[in-house]
Amino acid sequence: MYAVETQNLTKRYGKTHALKGLDFTVNPKEIMVLLGPNGSGKTTLLLILATILKPTSGSAVVMGLNVTKQPTRIRQILGISFQEARGFWRHKPAEILRFHAAICGVPKSERDAKIEEIMKDLELWEARKKLFMHLSGGQTKRLEVSKLLLQRPRFAIFDEPSSQVDLRGKRKIWGEILKLRDQGSTILVATNEVREAEFLADRVTVLDQGQSVVCDTVRNLKDKIAGGDVVELQLEPGPNSIEELRERLSTIEGTVNLVTAGENQYRAHVSMAEAWVPKMTSLCYEKRARLLSVRVTEPSLDDVFLHFTGKVLENPANA
Amino acid sequence: MTELLRILQLAGNDFSYFFRTKWLMAVLLSLNLSDMLVVALVFQRLMDFNYFQFFVPAVVVMGLFVAALDTGRRIWLAIREGVIHYYLSLPISTKGVVIAYLLAGGLAALVYSSSLLLIALLVLPAQAVWNTFILMPFLFILAMGLAGIAATLAALASTHAEFFFAYQQIVQIVLLTLSTVFYPIHVVEQYLPPFLVNIVSHNPLSLATEAMREYTFVGTPVQPLVLLMIFLTSMPFAIVGGLAYLWALRAIQVKGKL
Repeated sequence: MYAVETQNLTKRYGKTHALKGLDFTVNPKEIMVLLGPNGSGKTTLLLILATILKPTSGSAVVMGLNVTKQPTRIRQILGISFQEARGFWRHKPAEILRFHAAICGVPKSERDAKIEEIMKDLELWEARKKLFMHLSGGQTKRLEVSKLLLQRPRFAIFDEPSSQVDLRGKRKIWGEILKLRDQGSTILVATNEVREAEFLADRVTVLDQGQSVVCDTVRNLKDKIAGGDVVELQLEPGPNSIEELRERLSTIEGTVNLVTAGENQYRAHVSMAEAWVPKMTSLCYEKRARLLSVRVTEPSLDDVFLHFTGKVLENPANA
Repeated sequence: MTELLRILQLAGNDFSYFFRTKWLMAVLLSLNLSDMLVVALVFQRLMDFNYFQFFVPAVVVMGLFVAALDTGRRIWLAIREGVIHYYLSLPISTKGVVIAYLLAGGLAALVYSSSLLLIALLVLPAQAVWNTFILMPFLFILAMGLAGIAATLAALASTHAEFFFAYQQIVQIVLLTLSTVFYPIHVVEQYLPPFLVNIVSHNPLSLATEAMREYTFVGTPVQPLVLLMIFLTSMPFAIVGGLAYLWALRAIQVKGKL
């Protein structure tokens, strides 16, 4: 059974279609990353699964519970970290966490110790005496994530969990999300940050204009791009003609394109470089050509997105 | 954990939010205290009856009124800041969120007006303070009703601050003007047509004010019928307000915003 399953899920805001008949699944205890540009429907999907929004049509089931028919029961097993932190302006971070812990049923005896531990972990301890309205963007974001780390729900939703957070903070948050998964939570992360997706994802669903374009592991998605891997070679020709060697290289299975990049230098666009490179080295050995250097570059999730949607992700930070 | 416990936790959180808004506390207290200790004394000299004794108990009910109306501001803020999304993700039903807000509004208003009552008791001799304890549950129901009105205004105003505050002012003026908070019923009878007199005398603010004057300060024995009238005139406001807020939450769930 899937932890999350949507069928033909549609959400309209007036005439705007945020989701268009989305079929989507998440396996238990995996991190599913939703990758897509702004306006692709990521947040709408998360809010529907969190029972905050009602779908226009179609169905969505979380841990066997229907989002429209059993919202309160779903709320008892899920937690959501919003894209923009939601806090009470005149409360301090620890008070916000204490309220969250209490209403989510974290035992009273454990609350204060856990809150202190998480606040120290996420570098919020220094800001403990500030009111929410005086926290920086990064601090409010870390506080938002802290709620889920405190609650440790069976189904955790993170909407752009590390946006506005510095690199060290990002690493910390990502590490905690992985830990949450390892402890048995099913996790859904929406992001338009490629590094975040690569770091966290067990599987990635690429969303575009409210539809799932493709869903697979990061490795498989990259492998699905024909010629996505780039292998740069520098050779010292053997007794055989370099032209013949070039000809043979271009016929190796998986070669999409081979161009000359300089004297005795070539750039090959190949599918699955890990299979292509051993064949290439065997060929060089056979032709007695000396391989001076090899550099393999795999496609990024940006390339994956471009390949499947024909568009680039909008966040300039990913460029 | 039961739904009831979660409702109480949410109500407790909103209740504390009211008292954390220090500028609001300062504004409300200064207005109410100036009403009690300045306006009442000045008018005392202009009237042919003891206006101080008449108006001071009314200020306690006015405090209840304005504090309960602040529920609307907190709901409006929660909608504007998106905190409402957070509430809708918590393990509590949507109806539970509505009930929590009404409870918090009622409780905050009752606690605030109790502080005014204490001050009133210092400046005006009360003949039967214990009657106040009988009044309290009914004042709480009234405050929930007023919180319900405020919730309705917040739902109607959506995210437009200027509309919300304009609606709030209109309601405040209408409900206070058509009541016996500022002037006795015989004065109303002189100037207003009978149907408006009827409205004034059945306005829950008038009923609560008269009850506070008569039962706490004059010491007249409590009349159950009056308490029943406070209950019956307040409950519709609470119910309509609750339904309006529920409608607003449902609208947010469908449209994403109001």
